[in-house]
Amino acid sequence: MTTTAFGLRYSTNVGFEADFGGRGFQLPTSIAIRSDGVIYLLSRGKASTAQVVGIQKVTRDHDFLGQFGASGRGLGQMVGATSITLDDDENAYIADESLHRITKFDYDGNPLSMWGEKGSAEGQFDQPSGLLVQGDTILVVDSGNDRVQRYSLDGEFITQWGSLGTGDGEFNHPWGLGQDSSGNVYIADWRNDRIQKFTSEGQHLATFGENGSSEGQLNRPADVAVDPEGNIYVADWGNQRLQVFDSEWNFLDTQRGEAGLNPWAVEYLASQDDERKARESYVPVYEPDTDDPHEISARMEPYLWDPAAVELDEDGRVYVVETGRHRFQIFERI
Amino acid sequence: MTTVHEKQDVALMAHLLRRAGFGATPAEMDRALEIGYDAMLDEMLNPDHPDEIPDDLIRRHHVDQSDLRSAGGPHWVYRLVMTDTPLREKMCLFWHRIFATASTKLIQNKVVTNQINMFRDHGMGSFDDLLLELARDPAMIMWLDNQDNHGSNINENFGREILELFAMGVGNYSEEDIKETARAFTGWSVVNPDYMSIKMRNNTARPWGYMSWQFEFDADDHDDGEKTILGQTGNWNGEDAVRIICEQPATAAFLARHLYHFFVADELPVPQWPHEPPRDPEAIDLLCKAYFEDGHSIKAMLKAMFESDFFKADSARFARIKSPAEMVIGTMRLAGPVEIPSQETYMADAACANMGQGLFRPPSVEGWQGGTEWINTGSYVVRVNFASQILNDPNKDGVRDIIERIKASVGSGSMSSDDLVDACLDILGPLDVLDTTRSGLKNYAAKYGELSWGSDDASAQFDDAAVAIIQLIVTTQEYQTA
Repeated sequence: MTTTAFGLRYSTNVGFEADFGGRGFQLPTSIAIRSDGVIYLLSRGKASTAQVVGIQKVTRDHDFLGQFGASGRGLGQMVGATSITLDDDENAYIADESLHRITKFDYDGNPLSMWGEKGSAEGQFDQPSGLLVQGDTILVVDSGNDRVQRYSLDGEFITQWGSLGTGDGEFNHPWGLGQDSSGNVYIADWRNDRIQKFTSEGQHLATFGENGSSEGQLNRPADVAVDPEGNIYVADWGNQRLQVFDSEWNFLDTQRGEAGLNPWAVEYLASQDDERKARESYVPVYEPDTDDPHEISARMEPYLWDPAAVELDEDGRVYVVETGRHRFQIFERI
Repeated sequence: MTTVHEKQDVALMAHLLRRAGFGATPAEMDRALEIGYDAMLDEMLNPDHPDEIPDDLIRRHHVDQSDLRSAGGPHWVYRLVMTDTPLREKMCLFWHRIFATASTKLIQNKVVTNQINMFRDHGMGSFDDLLLELARDPAMIMWLDNQDNHGSNINENFGREILELFAMGVGNYSEEDIKETARAFTGWSVVNPDYMSIKMRNNTARPWGYMSWQFEFDADDHDDGEKTILGQTGNWNGEDAVRIICEQPATAAFLARHLYHFFVADELPVPQWPHEPPRDPEAIDLLCKAYFEDGHSIKAMLKAMFESDFFKADSARFARIKSPAEMVIGTMRLAGPVEIPSQETYMADAACANMGQGLFRPPSVEGWQGGTEWINTGSYVVRVNFASQILNDPNKDGVRDIIERIKASVGSGSMSSDDLVDACLDILGPLDVLDTTRSGLKNYAAKYGELSWGSDDASAQFDDAAVAIIQLIVTTQEYQTA
């Protein structure tokens, strides 16, 4: 059998810090990619940046195509947006952990419906986060209830699994999830510092990872994606990095991030002469005097800062959303 | 077995917990009385754990407290409310007040949060170590423009303030000492000073947010010539300047007066200190003695102070107006734990600012003076409204505990409204209010008549009465003092 050495290289980044709307993002938490390559980035934002709360549409070539969704509590609005995913018709679904509900938008960004309320019964949520469409159903990671719920695409409850704990099939505040080509589900079991693999019916298959910062170890993994070869991509949020493993959890690669100026940043600096000149002598990466990954990311602008989501496109590109830097970095297979 | 404690012991312990902490819940008071004053003080002075907060949960669910561009206040409020090492946290407030560094200029809260974390690590250690860490602190460097303090062209800001505001006070150094001290700190800067300065000056988070800063010593930019600081001549660097400053009797006296002002009794405004003697010179001498006998230890000064007669005196109790942060945090701790996520921490941060003490936003490098300046008509209304709002729910853990303890304190299933007022005053302090205040509270409570809790309806009415009385008590002058 011939094996191909795995490797990733940084390609580009898309993003810009936006406070009042327009081209850019604000504290993004999740990403979804349409079949035509249009990228949806979910800006969670904050109270003082309400105009940017919503879903920005961009391309990896740095085209900004507008925004849908807004800050608020009504239909189509959001307060604490955590995740976005698309169904086969490319309707968009948004999870909101503050409003404890799921909102569905059509292809054009018009809100269609919403469901959920705070609670622990069927049909209720406590801080919903990761979303994953499987055929005509959608899985919702119900973080505060330490479980996964499955619904129809119209919000009818179907089934659930999971409870608080550290054993197989148990969770501690899970966050994102992904699936392989067989429909097996991989869940970022956030506070247990591990990834759990299940059948689509919720039968536990495997557990990967343990707490730590070495290769193969995880610190609060936020999201997971799986490519057609079965390689597993983990947004290792607490360690501020992307890690990649093969299907047996053998370590393949890690990326800390290396974002340079993208066209939006270049255009901005062209209009800010003093900042542009000061950047000429600026050293973006230097020897830190701390070993705290979060603080290091706060200092080193090229590095991933709070990588909250990882997504793959049909060509194998890897998209990593950085909440702290208001952008996403794209990596390609070597 | 229930232990009955002497009234005087209870009052003294409550005094310690108000001053060295943020007051006590009834459960905290029970435990403190059980171990006694000396053991409690020893525990507060020597916390044996780092007081970790669930930072992962906070950063995940309050994403604006992860990049900390602007939510440093709410972030700190959570820790202040939840900490079980209150004296260490109170010392962070103390140093924030003296080494006042404002995010309004620095344009981000991340680096100020890092500075507060440094206070947590060094705030009760040796003053030499703390002052050296302060001189290396990136937020302080940028706050006082020390990145512009070059060997070839000094900027005196930090050299002046370390002598005037941080360590010695006016009248204890010369203008030449300022210049020479500034020379010792030339080259003490941050990585990428030019770009970081421009981003700060332009108040821009573009293109991708702010960057946290890191200290850097630039030897090429340091003036390594001979300097004379406070009478000592040598080829001094910043470390030497700190050593020389910390050796001065004036430094010990300045620090002692600040500690007295913060923990014991309101002093005159700092600008008057060069012209007026301390309120209690013997107390200052005692603290200075502790400073020099124990390697410039701040903890030794605190220990001497909290063990002193002048601190324990009846006349010292309820003699200080609570700062906004003390009032807000104490009330929130009384109400019960803060959940994550919580909007109450944002509300509390805003309330502190509206009362005149915006955390991370001291009005100037001179910090807050405090004392009677905390109170005016507007700020008093904010105080009362905030406290009433936080204590408005009988099912909050802390409020529930108070109510259940009051019920348990009587043998029968009922009590008079007068007794309820007395019980609430006792458990919220104990608060020794003026007779007119007590009678006013009882007149108000009389509308509830004889109270019981034998049925759901009666219990709900008792809850309502207790909450209403608690809310009224927090409006009193006595509750606003420590």
